[in-house]
Amino acid sequence: MELSDYFSQLFSDYTLRTITLGTAILGAICGMLGSFAVLRKQSLLGDAISHAALPGIAIAFLITGTKDSNILLLGALVSGLIGTFWIRGMITKTHLKSDTALGLVLSLFFGFGMLLLTFIQKQPNANQAGLDKYLFGQAATLVESDVMLMAIVTGICLVIMLLFWKEFKILLFDADYTKTLGFNTRFIDVLITFFIVLAIVLGLQTVGVVLMSAMLLAPAAAARQWTNKLSVMIVLAAIFGAFSGVFGTAISASQNNLSTGPVIVLVAGVFVVVSFVFSPGRGILFKQLRKYQNRRDLKLQKTLQFMFDIAKTHENISHPHAIKILNNFQGYTRASLKEMEEKEWVKVRGQKWAMTEKGYDAAVNLYKNN
Amino acid sequence: MDAQVEIQLIAAVVAIACAIPGVFLVLRKMALISDAISHSILPGIVIGFFITEDLNSPLLILLAALMGVITVVLVEAIQKTGLVKEDTAIGLVFPALFSIGVILIAKNANDVHLDVDAVLLGELAFAPFDRLIVSGTDIGPKSLWVMGTILLITIGMLFAFFKELKVSTFDAGLSAALGFSPVVLHYGLMTVSSVTVVGAFEAVGAVLVVALMIAPAATAYLLTSDLKKMLVLSVIFGVFSAIAGYWVAHFLDASIAGSMTTVLGLVFLMVYLFAPNKGLIAVMYRQKQQRTEVSLLTFLLHLNNHEEESERHVKHLNEHINWQKVRSKTVLDLAERNNLVHIDKNIVSLTIKGKEFTDLALEYIITNKDEKIEHMKDDFFLFRG
Repeated sequence: MELSDYFSQLFSDYTLRTITLGTAILGAICGMLGSFAVLRKQSLLGDAISHAALPGIAIAFLITGTKDSNILLLGALVSGLIGTFWIRGMITKTHLKSDTALGLVLSLFFGFGMLLLTFIQKQPNANQAGLDKYLFGQAATLVESDVMLMAIVTGICLVIMLLFWKEFKILLFDADYTKTLGFNTRFIDVLITFFIVLAIVLGLQTVGVVLMSAMLLAPAAAARQWTNKLSVMIVLAAIFGAFSGVFGTAISASQNNLSTGPVIVLVAGVFVVVSFVFSPGRGILFKQLRKYQNRRDLKLQKTLQFMFDIAKTHENISHPHAIKILNNFQGYTRASLKEMEEKEWVKVRGQKWAMTEKGYDAAVNLYKNN
Repeated sequence: MDAQVEIQLIAAVVAIACAIPGVFLVLRKMALISDAISHSILPGIVIGFFITEDLNSPLLILLAALMGVITVVLVEAIQKTGLVKEDTAIGLVFPALFSIGVILIAKNANDVHLDVDAVLLGELAFAPFDRLIVSGTDIGPKSLWVMGTILLITIGMLFAFFKELKVSTFDAGLSAALGFSPVVLHYGLMTVSSVTVVGAFEAVGAVLVVALMIAPAATAYLLTSDLKKMLVLSVIFGVFSAIAGYWVAHFLDASIAGSMTTVLGLVFLMVYLFAPNKGLIAVMYRQKQQRTEVSLLTFLLHLNNHEEESERHVKHLNEHINWQKVRSKTVLDLAERNNLVHIDKNIVSLTIKGKEFTDLALEYIITNKDEKIEHMKDDFFLFRG
């Protein structure tokens, strides 16, 4: 199937529509909540939680014996939350650092989950197949009820976020101040964490355990580059996330043998790279250009200063001097002289230059402003 | 050799080889780098496989290890731009590289004998079937040789550069001043970690390598703060979990790697709860004690401030200072037991010793100089004993 076929079939084909809608909603909610994770410096929490959810899925299956995705996700939610709070306990109660705590929960829970999964596979139960889709996710298994669930959770998230907007915002930027204002920081903190865990658990079916963290991080990291305003960042992150979902699904549907999860992650990665390079405020490209520009300005000003030192020894500031005497000065080039002429700081006539009134004033004011 | 013994031997060697660099990663607060490396070497392995068409070629290990170092460099490059925080950089790099690996495998699934599940999990149970045959004679399983070589190199490096590693881990500035470049040591450690991860990867898979690196070191870190003891302890924990894990897997008929991690997890949980000094229970107990001590101080200061009897009545305390009954009683008992106060007809007053102690405390609060508190810490030790 070609990409163009994908878009023409998008509105007629049920499966395609469901999957696209699902990945778009997922991208949006992940971008939204991921913004909080990134700003709270909890970027890798998502990685730990998504891995920690695996034993929950296996245990839920062992207890109920069904493959109903809602029940399995409930199990994932519980074990994800246990993982999160254990990480917290480790950081506050022992001298283990956050990276060790995250790595421990991530690998230990995942290993335990794998033990359970392989154990389940050996069980004489015809219903067991398909649990491993949670490892890498299969968007193709999304059905309408899954998408409905995602939409409902996203709606609830949105309402809660708007209700607690100022609390979330203030906690994000100044936790101590929030406490002194009398807010229940613990409650707000748990609320944010709970929704982050929820978003991760929702994505497990689509993107899988391993790549879920990127889904959470990448749109937010990309959005961060374009703005310094929280509300704009969240909206942008949601848009980036939704687009990664749609494009990722489109690309993976138009090719054989491409699982959706990795493609979505790579599309989100492209968003990040583009943002890193081209964002006007913080992007590498413009930062480099600005640096270059500043350096040139500085050079020009140094040359002007040098000329000024010569010119001020004369009665008439516009007394012409030979260009040759500038050769001793390192900052001088023919191009910079031309630029100075364009700025009307100097007049060049033949092999001589003369400072103008404007150039003289500029040189006098050069060090005054700072 | 029996296949069972061989599997346990391989598991133990992998555990030791992972535990040694793991200790330094945990101490340098770079535990998550191992997670990043273990995922991002996937494209290296896949590309190496496309070139050589042989899963056991040394080129594969070389390319994968190179990929690991590239990951570290990329993460550091992104950090340096200052556009995102450190952990975000890690979180962005490795899923992208891992995705590339997965897609490469998926696109060539038909002619590649490489399975993503195997990449994540590894399969230790099959390791003994892959023999190394030198001039016609079978000299043992191949992965044992590979991991054994890596382990020997790691141990050699550890002995050769122990003091350099130690000083650069705990004080990078001092290390640079003494002339051991922390940068060289950093990349050396990263290279060793990458190679170890790649070697272990085949046996235990991407995610469980992380467990083998971090968990023994973290467990040991809760028990000791001596680097040498920590290294020895983490090797012991690693080997114990490897062998116990094998038998659990044997019993449950489940993944060996998964059960090794589970045993590691249980060992860590036990130590986390019960470690003397640094375990959860010890910490909670200490915090409770410190709370009582602070209450005692507050109480003594209160007595010092008030001459009038109404303020010093036993009943008044839990009304005025707002303490619960039990807490007031604990504090009062502690104070009386140490002869800091004496109670006469339910009126509490400071003894001479109590007065001295309170003056000391006041002096500390006013001057805020550390030497004062040092002295008082000794006094508190007396109460506990």
